[in-house]
Amino acid sequence: MTAMVHIAIEFIQAHPLVLALIKILIVFTVLMGIVAYLVYMERKVLSFMQARLGPMRVGPWGLLQPVADGIKLLLKEDIIPAGADKFLFLLAPAISITVALTVFAVIPFAGNFYVSDINIGLLFILGVSSLGIYGTILGGWSSNSHYPLLGALRASAQLVSYEVAAGMALVGVLLISNSLSMVEIVNRQMQMGVWNVFVQPVAFVIYLIAAVAETNRSPFDLPEAESELTAGFHTEYSGFRFAIYFVAEYTNMVVVSCIAVTMFLGGWLQPFSNIRAFDSLRFAPIVACLGTAVFVLWLGLKGLVPLERYFFIGLAVTCVLMAGLVAIPVVLSAIQGVFWFSAKVLVFLYAFIWYRATFPRYRYDQLMNVSWRWMIPIGLANVIVTAIIRYSMSPHVPAAPVAGLGG
Amino acid sequence: MRLTEFFHRVFLVDLIKGLRLTFSYQRPSAVYTEQYPLERPRVAERYRGVPRLNCHPATGETLCIACNLCSLACPENLIVVGWTRTEDRKKRLTTFTYDLSRCMFCGLCEDACPVDALELTQDFELAHYSREDMIWDRQALEAGPRPTRYTR
Repeated sequence: MTAMVHIAIEFIQAHPLVLALIKILIVFTVLMGIVAYLVYMERKVLSFMQARLGPMRVGPWGLLQPVADGIKLLLKEDIIPAGADKFLFLLAPAISITVALTVFAVIPFAGNFYVSDINIGLLFILGVSSLGIYGTILGGWSSNSHYPLLGALRASAQLVSYEVAAGMALVGVLLISNSLSMVEIVNRQMQMGVWNVFVQPVAFVIYLIAAVAETNRSPFDLPEAESELTAGFHTEYSGFRFAIYFVAEYTNMVVVSCIAVTMFLGGWLQPFSNIRAFDSLRFAPIVACLGTAVFVLWLGLKGLVPLERYFFIGLAVTCVLMAGLVAIPVVLSAIQGVFWFSAKVLVFLYAFIWYRATFPRYRYDQLMNVSWRWMIPIGLANVIVTAIIRYSMSPHVPAAPVAGLGG
Repeated sequence: MRLTEFFHRVFLVDLIKGLRLTFSYQRPSAVYTEQYPLERPRVAERYRGVPRLNCHPATGETLCIACNLCSLACPENLIVVGWTRTEDRKKRLTTFTYDLSRCMFCGLCEDACPVDALELTQDFELAHYSREDMIWDRQALEAGPRPTRYTR
């Protein structure tokens, strides 16, 4: 047995690509699960905010709804409109999903868990994610239909405007952290002992708004404004191709949340780790597990169907067992990073849904006003002020070595 | 005045107010949805649903005195009261037909009844497989509504 493990370890050490592939597989699988249940979470949170219950019939509390939706979309007819540019029509959703998933290559989920740490990480993210708009534009254009074309036009203008604002916000962080590597940016926040959100609050707010706009989420969902454009750029898509667009949208939500957490909220770092009083936050994973158990038990006791009641009680017991597992010191320290990272990302994802439940959609000229008349000038001012302060505080710090490119 | 308005806009006060409102609606007591087959909906106290012909709780005899007022009150003429005369020339109820397919649940029959024999109850499950099933005779009316129990 140990010999086999040794052989496996040696093999992985000899072939670093294998380790990367394993990591990619883990990230991809977990991500797809998260995206599927993000749809469920969105429907639930949205309906609670609207005094409804949301999906309740498929599985206990509608827990199997994502599975049912997936099967339904897979079995639907895949329609290609008669006048469509077939090649681009088939290519567009693929572009969207590929780009959305590629970004995860450089996001550090924990101090020791990331697919790759390249020294131009942020540049890579900005470069790749702005390609994602091609999926939207080409999908809208190649459909050969009015509504998708209008949606695509809106998307192109909107995404270009907000890309600028988001870029401005991120430049402010770059000036402070002196590096483009995502891991280095988080480490820098650890060294400073304060998260970037407290140093760059203006940039944080700007990025928060721009991120909503870039993911085409309400209140900036003009490219797919269903009351005006039927379904916007993906009107003509059906079945699995529509599902891919859907997955891409939700993956993008996760992407921008991950970037925001890494850039502004200290990535995998535990909050207030340099204050003694907050040291007990280390045990938050256990509390989270027990809290989930209590919540699930409450749901089960409220349940109307006996079978569901047993399911929830079983789930609560599982959560308690999980808490026990997490309470083992080795495990507890191992999952710290991933726990805090995913907790922060979850807050952001919740906020996305929260905005959608609260704000009505912007008019098109208002959308442009917000970006060009407010966010970009403020972002620019923020960059200039940060640069001046940064220079006056330590004028002789050399620029971060962006070596590795040339050697 | 202008200054406070300015700060309101800068710190997005109105947006935060809106966010707080939607957040507060997540409390479980705010949920308005009724999971109908699993739980009975709460109908209003004066809801007029399935008709019932009341019997005396102790003797089990019908309360109806066959006065025919309900039939006269009905705008749709869907109630037919049948009676016979006893030896002392008193009216005695024999048949009672109520055509639910034409009923609009106005409640005039209920109001006209001098002895509270005819009553529109709170039950609302009125689906039937044919129009004939919707014409209820005395037996069905006296038995009253039989709400469906959904159990798994």
